[in-house]
Amino acid sequence: MVLSLAAFLGLWAVVAAIVAEPATMPGPLRVWTVLVDEAASGRLLTNTGITLLRVVAAFVVAMGIGVALGLVLGRSGRTDRWLNPWLVILVNMPALVVTVLCYIWIGLNEVAAVAAVVINKVPLVTVMVREGSRALRPDLDDMALIFRMPTGARLRHVVLPQMAPYIAGAARAGLSLIWKIVLVVEFLGRSSGVGFQIHLNFSMFRVAHILAYAFAFILVMLVIEYLILRPLERHAGRWRQDGH
Amino acid sequence: MDIDIRAKSFAGRPVLGPVRLTLAQGQRVAILGPSGIGKTTLLRIVAGLDADFDGTVSEEGRTTVVFQEPTLLPWRTALENITLPAGVTPEVARGLMAEVGLGGKDALYPRQLSLGQQRRLALARAFAPSPTTLLMDEPFASLDAGTAGRMLDLTAALLDRSEVSLIFVTHDPAEATRLKARALTLSGSPATLNA
Repeated sequence: MVLSLAAFLGLWAVVAAIVAEPATMPGPLRVWTVLVDEAASGRLLTNTGITLLRVVAAFVVAMGIGVALGLVLGRSGRTDRWLNPWLVILVNMPALVVTVLCYIWIGLNEVAAVAAVVINKVPLVTVMVREGSRALRPDLDDMALIFRMPTGARLRHVVLPQMAPYIAGAARAGLSLIWKIVLVVEFLGRSSGVGFQIHLNFSMFRVAHILAYAFAFILVMLVIEYLILRPLERHAGRWRQDGH
Repeated sequence: MDIDIRAKSFAGRPVLGPVRLTLAQGQRVAILGPSGIGKTTLLRIVAGLDADFDGTVSEEGRTTVVFQEPTLLPWRTALENITLPAGVTPEVARGLMAEVGLGGKDALYPRQLSLGQQRRLALARAFAPSPTTLLMDEPFASLDAGTAGRMLDLTAALLDRSEVSLIFVTHDPAEATRLKARALTLSGSPATLNA
């Protein structure tokens, strides 16, 4: 993996040297310098932090709504027949249109920004969780019914563990989708965050800055993936281990 | 327990005819019959898992089931597989696990138990909430003769100790004798119960 990354950086440096236009095609060293400067000024941390907050807020709300909706649709054929056409429309609605409409209808504020991301994301989570909900084991349903397990316990101990792989899949697909949409939302209508910085630097034609912010955020998302998502998945999958 | 089923059909095809059975406390009944005759259908109606039939089933106390398969929660430990569904304390669950020979296996997940152990865990779970009626759906099928024999002895011991009534579906009359259950046969089309 180290070799592959080194090759990527090397290729980038060579192309930048051949093009010899540092303004439009900065090399890795130039981007690194900008990254360090921005970090030292505090701008990088502030803007990345704000974007991360928006990502987390949108993620939590979208997962909550999507999981609940997916469970209901997978269990109730009638509701599914009713809501499926809406889902199909929403899944195929361009993220840009949703964002613009949210800004027009709700206003250029934080609620509109998060709502735009949530609306973009909920249909995907719903569709993925619905698949899992359709695959729930009927024998365990029977067991829970016979033993009169209360609804909360049934959800927590019977339903959700079966849904875990689907929810984890939706979370993973969701996170990468959300942070890309958050940048668009910030680009279009916020005055803070990584997306805003990219907007600002785009209008000033500072490609090195744009790349520096992009890499900083990729780094943040990788940290989330390896330090939070993967350990969580391992924890949820303990029971899959074989006997001794 | 009072069972009064007038008719049960699947997609217009009658499966069960009139079936009447009254079970006094502590009474044991084995329902024999070939595969596909409707034994499991009858048991599901009695258990309350199938409400789509013509008739009534009334039961004052609590009914639990030992299913054909162990039907455990793979993502919960052996102990939790008793405490969570049955709603009993870990102490009660540990006591039952010891009785079925699973002492010390509290923290193991179902995958880490053999099939015989999984079935014993399911048996312990069924007894845990102190049911008034126990339903068993061929719980010894697909076990080798030795394991099935030990399971039968274990079930008999647990039954003798409690005052639970039993409806037990099997295709093996010897199992009925061993559990001291009155043998009834489900036969005919639509199927009815005969002594």
